[in-house]
Amino acid sequence: MTQQYWTIISIFIGGAIGTLLRYFINLQTVTLLFPIGTLFENLLGSLLLGTLTGWVAVKVIPSFLKVGLGVGFCGGFTTMSTLAADSAFLAGQASLFQSGMYLITSLIGGVLFALLGMLLGHRLATKQKVGERA
Amino acid sequence: MNILLVALGGGSGAVCRYLLGVWFINHTKQWIIPTAMVYVNVLGSFGLGIFFGFIYQEIPYMADDLYEQALFLLFGLGFFGAFTTFSTFSVEASLLVQKKRWKRLSIYVALSILGSILAFLTGLFLGGV
Repeated sequence: MTQQYWTIISIFIGGAIGTLLRYFINLQTVTLLFPIGTLFENLLGSLLLGTLTGWVAVKVIPSFLKVGLGVGFCGGFTTMSTLAADSAFLAGQASLFQSGMYLITSLIGGVLFALLGMLLGHRLATKQKVGERA
Repeated sequence: MNILLVALGGGSGAVCRYLLGVWFINHTKQWIIPTAMVYVNVLGSFGLGIFFGFIYQEIPYMADDLYEQALFLLFGLGFFGAFTTFSTFSVEASLLVQKKRWKRLSIYVALSILGSILAFLTGLFLGGV
């Protein structure tokens, strides 16, 4: 099979696993009015994709693994459409304040966790590289 | 059964996001912000809005058995959930933070977040709420 097929297969598998994990976390928090599950998934996914981004800036990993983890897993684990629905739901059922807090926490948290992840991934990959040389 | 629906929806949503993202990168002009995932997120939020409006006539979060409904698991949580993404948004935004491109960052954030919410609401009303 060509490279393109392997890319698509690994994105499908990564996306399916990421979405399943999101489903299981949502099941634990579905009774709460505040979408804490989606918030948690979006922040953790930002940390993971940041770490991967920092790692591949230093070290080469196979392309299927990179897209499977990044585009597939992290992409499927996090979601923007649910975030849009959540904030509309909160504005209607709870309050504009809660909706605003949800958006601001997602946004600032997402950027901070992505930055933290990039530092972490970069550091881990550099350390391993030094270790390899020794 | 529920697990299969979620996996199928999520896997195909992620693949569609990738293919459409590549298409947008090849067929749209380069702009000052990374636009491919903005388009994908806005489109996917619009799709989720239409789905909710058409099937439920509301945002169905109060429904007790929502997480047992095949259509919701396949399309709502699975396909549209995985078709759109937040992690890429965070990483792109944090790269703009690192480069201190504040104006670009505000345009990118506004288009992604507000664009997705507006698209979702538009879809919801077009779907029949």
